[in-house]
Amino acid sequence: MWLPLLGLIIGVLLGLLTDIRIPEEYSNYLSIAVLAALDTLFGGIRAHLQNIYDEKVFVSGFFFNILLAASLAFLGVHLGVDLYLAAVFAFGVRLFQNIAVIRRILLTKWSTNKEKIEKN
Amino acid sequence: MDKQKKNNLSFIVISAVIGFMIAIQFQSVKEPVERDTRDLWQLREALLQEKELQSELVSEIRSIEEKLLAYDSKQKQSKEQALRDTIKELKIEAGLTQVKGPGLSLRIEPIMEEIQIGEPISKDVSPELLKRLLNELNMYDAAYVSVDGQRVINTTVIRDINNETKIDGHAISSLPIEVKVGVDNLVTAEKLYNRIKASKATEEFFTENLKLIISEPTSELTIPAYDNPIRIRYLESLKANEGGNT
Repeated sequence: MWLPLLGLIIGVLLGLLTDIRIPEEYSNYLSIAVLAALDTLFGGIRAHLQNIYDEKVFVSGFFFNILLAASLAFLGVHLGVDLYLAAVFAFGVRLFQNIAVIRRILLTKWSTNKEKIEKN
Repeated sequence: MDKQKKNNLSFIVISAVIGFMIAIQFQSVKEPVERDTRDLWQLREALLQEKELQSELVSEIRSIEEKLLAYDSKQKQSKEQALRDTIKELKIEAGLTQVKGPGLSLRIEPIMEEIQIGEPISKDVSPELLKRLLNELNMYDAAYVSVDGQRVINTTVIRDINNETKIDGHAISSLPIEVKVGVDNLVTAEKLYNRIKASKATEEFFTENLKLIISEPTSELTIPAYDNPIRIRYLESLKANEGGNT
């Protein structure tokens, strides 16, 4: 359960140490890619908790979502429509849903544990 | 169990990638640390300062431009410029510069009847003939003359040294040679052309088995500069209190 957090910390440290900067016009793409990746990560955690986790789905979803979001943003820039908002909306809603599901699962787990302790 | 490990690994890797992306994004979109917190009056003051600086710079530019103009006009009116102009004119007159302008060219070559198989064409133009031709050209308002690439000036000597005709030490090697005559304008060139055609020069050359071919006047003729130093041996500058009052 704590593995994603560990990985996140490692990644942030690496990113801060390498001191890489991307041009301002591409920061849009990166932000939407981050959003897509976060969505995939929380989806993965939820699936893990629900015991329906499949590694292939997780890894392919990660890359595919990032690519889709970035290409959507790219298309939006070239069409003059803020298409990246669509990606932001979709990923944002899913992010909230996933987190809500995770919260419920954890709550039920916690309450059942508590009941077990009380029974004993 | 093995599967669980693999799952964990992919979780770690992907979350690390996400962390990496977030870190880069943070670094790239970092806001400027210092915010501009000046109020209206402080901004006005700053603007005033900048405007003062601008007006100062403008006045400086103006004064420098005025100076430049003054120097320019001074230079134009100065004695130095006048002297330079004079030197230029004198150099042109003395023949020390290349001259481009209207003129015509004459070709001196041996006559066809003289060229015989088996015999070398060792013809030379005699200095007397050349001198006569040059005198004639000068008579007809020729301004700049060159013979076989050698500029003819006032002190040029044409003489026979060891049976070779030399112009200022330059031997006229072989026929044909070209005489370039420059004049002041195209009308004079036309006049010169007609006069040379009508003169006896062609006949004089013919008696020495030479042919004088006169080309039509052109507007673009280049006459080379005199390339030897001009030596003045017997000329001295006049002092102010000497000399006659003629």
